[in-house]
Amino acid sequence: MQTYILRRLVLMVPTLFGITVIVFAVMAAAPGGISAQSLIQGQNLEPGAKKAMEDYYNRLYGLDQPVPVQYLRWLNNISPAGFTFDANNEINGFSLNKGSDLGTSFYYNRPVLDLVAERLPITLLLNVLSLPIIYVIAITIGVRAATERGKRFDTTSGVALLGFWSVPTMLTGVLMIAFLASDQYWRWFPTAGINARAALEMPFMPHWSATSDVLMLVSLSIAGAVLMGTLSRKGGKATRAVAFGALGAVLGVLMAGDVARDGLSLLHVLLGAGLGGLFILIGRADYELPRTAVMGLVGFGVGVGFAASFAQGTFVRGFLLDSLWHLVLPVICLSYTSFAFLSKLTRAAVLENLLADYARTARAKGVSESDVLWRHVFRNSLLPLITVSATLLPGLLAGSVIVETIFSIEGMGQLAVEAVKLRDRELVLSVTLVSGLLTLIGYLIADLCYAVADPRISYD
Amino acid sequence: MTDGQTLGLRDSEIAPASTTPARSYAAQVLRDAASSWGARLGLMWIAMLAFVAVFAPLLANSHPLLLSEHGDISSPMLAYLTPADVTLLVTFCIGLLVMLAPTRARRRLLAIMLTLAIVGGLSVVYITPSPLAIYSDYRIKQQTGAYDWVLRAPVPYSPKDYLRDYGDAGFEAPLEAARRTHWMGTEENGADVLSRMIYASRIALGIGLIATGIAMFIGIVLGGLMGYFSGRVDMIGMRLVEIFEAVPTLFLLLTLVAFFGRSLYLMMVIIGLTGWPGYARYVRAEFLKLRQQEFVQAAIACGLPLRSILFRHMLPNGVGPILVNASFGVAAAILAEAVLSFLGLGLVDDPSWGQMLNQAVQSSTFNWWMAVFPGGAIFLTVFAYNLIGEALRDAIDPHLKKDQPES
Repeated sequence: MQTYILRRLVLMVPTLFGITVIVFAVMAAAPGGISAQSLIQGQNLEPGAKKAMEDYYNRLYGLDQPVPVQYLRWLNNISPAGFTFDANNEINGFSLNKGSDLGTSFYYNRPVLDLVAERLPITLLLNVLSLPIIYVIAITIGVRAATERGKRFDTTSGVALLGFWSVPTMLTGVLMIAFLASDQYWRWFPTAGINARAALEMPFMPHWSATSDVLMLVSLSIAGAVLMGTLSRKGGKATRAVAFGALGAVLGVLMAGDVARDGLSLLHVLLGAGLGGLFILIGRADYELPRTAVMGLVGFGVGVGFAASFAQGTFVRGFLLDSLWHLVLPVICLSYTSFAFLSKLTRAAVLENLLADYARTARAKGVSESDVLWRHVFRNSLLPLITVSATLLPGLLAGSVIVETIFSIEGMGQLAVEAVKLRDRELVLSVTLVSGLLTLIGYLIADLCYAVADPRISYD
Repeated sequence: MTDGQTLGLRDSEIAPASTTPARSYAAQVLRDAASSWGARLGLMWIAMLAFVAVFAPLLANSHPLLLSEHGDISSPMLAYLTPADVTLLVTFCIGLLVMLAPTRARRRLLAIMLTLAIVGGLSVVYITPSPLAIYSDYRIKQQTGAYDWVLRAPVPYSPKDYLRDYGDAGFEAPLEAARRTHWMGTEENGADVLSRMIYASRIALGIGLIATGIAMFIGIVLGGLMGYFSGRVDMIGMRLVEIFEAVPTLFLLLTLVAFFGRSLYLMMVIIGLTGWPGYARYVRAEFLKLRQQEFVQAAIACGLPLRSILFRHMLPNGVGPILVNASFGVAAAILAEAVLSFLGLGLVDDPSWGQMLNQAVQSSTFNWWMAVFPGGAIFLTVFAYNLIGEALRDAIDPHLKKDQPES
């Protein structure tokens, strides 16, 4: 196993080398390319100062040298062992422990390593939060679709998820910001960043000045959740539909009141009818678990809303709640497109195993259908899902470029866009290197997980 | 030409054995796929888009289609047709004729491509529309009664007609003004959104098809060679594929577009150049399977040239996964163009759906029609191609085998 990991790690080096060569070649081949002139373009300088700036950049980054030399110098900079240079950029020795250096960003004038270290955790946070959401929802839908192959749930969920997959992230992001975060419509969510500036001085956990508020919040939200949950589990189809539909209509009218304050308008009617209809559909659904979850959540939310409107004392959000509040929209944007792919895969895997001989044997022994599904079939179906987790990562990284741009989150994606727009050579190369490395490590981890999950596979 | 004739001979030698005419694998897959309702809906939407793209100057134009001024009948629309308009219209008409002609699919395709090339070349050389068009002239003359009668396009605005003559050019909600009708509102400079969307459909369709064509060509050639020769060629090829797969495509695209400037054709080429590794993987896998089969061994034993073995014997039998991928690839290419335009790296002058979404974000107030309509168009087009891809996948593979990347 260790030799295998070692071999894979060594094999990463030529791949990473290839990636940087491609990106460097693209930058060098472009008209204008990367030169001191292009860096100070647009700055209104006197000829003398201009010359001095050019010389400064040339000395700092070696931009006046031939392209292959520039690339080799960059390679030498990032490798932990290599040549060292004196003040005049002449080679003055070879060192085995000079340390690797990703260079200094042209634009930010700061070490690239600092920038990456600042931005990478934010992008990783977004992706780490999205992954479990993607998996839970996709697996739930995929397993259900496989057990009900060819029935209505299977076909509708297939088409619906394909539809989700086709909705461009930009559209969702733009509409979400416009309707749920801007001044024009509902101001439920913040428009930008991953925390408010004020939140940096807040305590980590939320806290209330009055104990009665906390008690009311807890009791009302739990009461709401329990009430709706019981209704969903015990109530008949008609009762559920009427109760839930009425709640939806009331919420829709209240929501319209937020925007159109003067009297009843078309918006009140539309939103009331729309939300009411949607809730009736959920109330009438035959799938108990998701229905109870949605209804319970809505009940919980209504409880919280009531408690908030009756609260007496002041309330401080705290850093944690503030961050979560900021992350809701970006995470939704980042995760919904991956459902289709993953649930399709789950469906195919579960289907294959459901028809396998061992599943039939288990049924013949008298094992109950749910035990066959969850204890036998599901565990075996997990294998392809593990392999695929690695291929999701590059997609999520690409998705964060868009999401971070829309929501003004200062992560790697935004850094990448800035870097190429500003023609910042060091930044572009480092971002490529880091994202390539992440992708390759993702592949490696997936292969290792595969071996852990399936004892039949060994890499020795 | 001789190749085509020998192939025709070979086919006719094989075919007569069975009573029903033997259908090729590709034709069979296409037929199966076209029988699902999802693929039909998708095809309908794309056919509509293609229609709109070809007849854009007749559908949305500030130049009247026909007008009579003091008894003289003239058509300003014709005078202002651009080379692109003419190429599309002529190719479409000749394409219709070719489709009706009883001949083989390959020859039809060849004929259409040839027409496209010839008409495109000729129109670029010979057609130079006058660069300056004062759209308001028509409206002023019409108001003052200088024309006897005027026949206007259904959407009487060009995409770059900023309606300066109305003075109040700027955002306008759909169907709001009393004097003029904008079905989908106007953008910040007063141009009609629907008209811009109609012309942008050309970019979406063009990018999708051409970028996928380039990616498929490179992928098939490289993947085919890798699969056929295996061994060392395969090893080197797969490293190349891995390198291209490990660079996030979007990032490579961003770099290329940012450094090489903005041009539609360059964007098509670049999206194509970054999209090939997937095809190469699939073709390689198919060819690795196929090369052991008897008919390939027989072809090699006959001493056929490599080109013939690869593309006439092996490719038609491994075309299934390529078709599926091509369909999803077109969708991905359209999305890629939209993302680039959205990030402000796309076209500056000509409208594209992504650029229109970007405009919606850049404006100080949010105007829902500027985001919903272009965004909806992207969604429907991508969804259509995905539906077709899904139907093709079902057609080639009834058991929905999972396609895992090799580790």
